Amino acid sequence: MSNIAGKAYAMNVITPIRWYMAWINKLIFRLATRDSSSLRGLVTLSLIHYARWVIIDRWKFPHLDPSQPKEDLHYSYMLFFSNFNGSWDQYVDSFTFAIPSGLDLFWKKNVRYPKSVPLTPFHDYIRHNQIDTDHYYNAYPLASSNDVKSAKHLKRKLIAFEQGVRDAGPEEFLKKYHTLLVEVQYDLGDMQPAPIVSLAAQAVDARRLLDAQGRR
Amino acid sequence: MANISGKAYALTVLSPIKKGCIGDTSYQISYADEVQSRLHGLRDCEDSPLAKVPQTYLARFFILDDVFYESTPGCDPFCNLLDILSIFQDRFRLLTLPREDHLKSRYLVFSSNFHGDLENYLRGMWSAISADIKNIWEHCVAFDKVQDAEGFITYIKRCQLTANLFFNGSTNDPLEDDSLEEQLKALYLKQQFAKFAVSHQGLEAAELQEAFRAFIDRVQPNQLAAPTWSPGQSIP
Repeated sequence: MSNIAGKAYAMNVITPIRWYMAWINKLIFRLATRDSSSLRGLVTLSLIHYARWVIIDRWKFPHLDPSQPKEDLHYSYMLFFSNFNGSWDQYVDSFTFAIPSGLDLFWKKNVRYPKSVPLTPFHDYIRHNQIDTDHYYNAYPLASSNDVKSAKHLKRKLIAFEQGVRDAGPEEFLKKYHTLLVEVQYDLGDMQPAPIVSLAAQAVDARRLLDAQGRR
Repeated sequence: MANISGKAYALTVLSPIKKGCIGDTSYQISYADEVQSRLHGLRDCEDSPLAKVPQTYLARFFILDDVFYESTPGCDPFCNLLDILSIFQDRFRLLTLPREDHLKSRYLVFSSNFHGDLENYLRGMWSAISADIKNIWEHCVAFDKVQDAEGFITYIKRCQLTANLFFNGSTNDPLEDDSLEEQLKALYLKQQFAKFAVSHQGLEAAELQEAFRAFIDRVQPNQLAAPTWSPGQSIP
């Protein structure tokens, strides 16, 4: 079991929402999807790889066979899955301090949602409704979301630079090389395994070490 | 559709797990616990079966045992009103208690963020790790009818939930979302060029130019296949 894969943390939260109120949340999400500027706060946070919100109407839980009992629920449910960088506290706190109103909008009408401010009731709410991940896979465990974005920028610049200096003399090359370094200075950096930020991360690290020893 | 942001796709799957137990009288375990145990047995990072599934950025499995009862304090105006009314009668306060829900099935939840379209992704998944898929989904309701890639696609679509909002934070421009190979190559280049820039400071122009040419020959920026990072690579 692990919520952590390299620099990413997998959060799963499931919260009830009154079925006759869920349309309000769906409308909010639809408007947010249409107008990407409404997600500027999330973009600014810059620590999320991917996140999603899924509302399951109480009568829409997958039912595949007559032998499977049909769900009989009072509430519809909202699933929230996030892949973010950093520790649980850093993530939840950054939401509270950076985009409290946006967060309250997304969880609007969820039963007993305490609002994102003050902090402790919000922490309690997320912790109460969070489910641990049993297996988490990350294609680039050494990289943060910002690393992925900066790598893309650097790759484009590097390829263009290489094509532009193929026939250049040494002095012209040096001048353009310095310009390149200035342009990509924020994209450079050595990516290494994530620092140990919590006891959970330490446990994951210890288990990976055991796995590696078992393979030898 | 909210499952798609640019070229990234958010797949959300809830597969009901059969009720009952497996094993004999000396050792019995519920189907759901057995599925969970198998998930815990999967190796991580580059050794995860998901590392073999083309175009997978980030993915997860977990077991949804039940939903939670909301026993924590909330900020609901209706609750506050009933709380005030409780000065007249206790039953008003009890009315503020949320209803109690329980799921009748336990669910295997699979969530994946990947590049491309759903059917090609699932076809690639079946082709790469069909033995692992069978091992993980074996005890799910109706999975016994899945025999091939097309059957797997049909099954997953029956279990799929549509996202209401999908946020893609791994790109500044979702329309220019890169494939996984492009992303891994870019990360490899970032790592290699950072090292090159640090270790080649202060060289004469001609010497630096020569070193840069050797660097480009080595890292092959336009070749996605190699050299590059492998999916799930955990050691730089």
